[in-house]
Amino acid sequence: MKIDNSLPLEYSTEENSLKILGFWIFLGAEIMLFATLFATYFTLENRTGSGPTGAEIFQITPVLFETILLLTSSFTVGLGIHAMRIGKQKAMISFFSITLLLGLAFLGVEIFEFVTYVHEGAGIQTSAFTSALLTTLGTHGAHVTLGFFWGLFIILQIKKRGLTPQTTNKAFIFSLYWHFLDVVWIFIFSFIYLKGMM
Amino acid sequence: MSQLFPMKQVLGFVFSILLTIIALAVYFLDMSFAVGMTILLVTAFIQAGLQLVVFMHAGETKDKGAIYTNVFYGLIIALVTVFGTLLAMVWDM
Repeated sequence: MKIDNSLPLEYSTEENSLKILGFWIFLGAEIMLFATLFATYFTLENRTGSGPTGAEIFQITPVLFETILLLTSSFTVGLGIHAMRIGKQKAMISFFSITLLLGLAFLGVEIFEFVTYVHEGAGIQTSAFTSALLTTLGTHGAHVTLGFFWGLFIILQIKKRGLTPQTTNKAFIFSLYWHFLDVVWIFIFSFIYLKGMM
Repeated sequence: MSQLFPMKQVLGFVFSILLTIIALAVYFLDMSFAVGMTILLVTAFIQAGLQLVVFMHAGETKDKGAIYTNVFYGLIIALVTVFGTLLAMVWDM
C-alpha cells in the first residue's frame, strides 16, 4: 500500500481517495432521491382532504430546536474531523460523541413531533398532504437514525484501532454523510416548514 | 484548546446560524409570498454551499473536479425534477 504523507490520513492511499469520491457519487444520488420527495410534497401539499393543513399542524418551537441541534451537530462533526487531522484522537472521539448526542436529541424532538401530528389527526393515511409530509420527514429521520448507529460503530472502531488510514477514511466518509443530512434538513426547514407557516 | 476550533469552521457555523435567523424572518415578519420565497431560496442555497465548501472539504484534493461535477450533476437533476414537476402538476403550464 502506497501512503502519500502530503495528504491527510483519510486520503493517504489511492483506495482511500477513491472511496471518498465514490461516497460523493452516492451523495449525488441522495440529492436526487430527496428531490423526488420534495417534488411529490410540493405537488400534494394543498391536497389536504378533510385533514389539517400544514399551517394548522406546524409549530415553530420544535422545528427551531431540530434546526439548531442539527446545525450544531454538523459543526461538531466538522471539528471532529479537524481534530482527527491534527492527530488528537481523544478530542475527535469527544466531538463525534457530542455529534451523536445532538443527533439523538434531534430524533427525540422529531419523534415527539410525529406523535403530536398523529394526536392532532394527521397520520400518514389522513391525506395526500400528510402522506407526502411524513414520508419526506421520515426518510430524513431514517437517514439520521442510520447515521447514529454508523457513527457509534466508527467511534468504537477508532477506540479499538486508533487513527489509521482505514479508520480515518471511514470517519471522514461518515462526516460527509452527516453534513449532507444537515443540508437536506435546511431544505426541509425552509421549503416545508417555513414556507408552510408563512 | 484553540487549535481544536479552527477559525474557518467557527465562522462557518456562525454564518450558518445567521442564515437560519434571516430565513426565520419569513415567519416572524409580514411579507408577500414572492419576497418570502426569494429569501428562503437564497438562504437555503447559500447554506448548502457553505456546508459543501467549509465543512465537507469538497475542493481539497485532486478529485475536486470530479466531486464538483458530480454534485452539480445531482443538483441539476434535482432542480429539473422539482421544477419540472411544479410546471406540469402545480403551475398547470
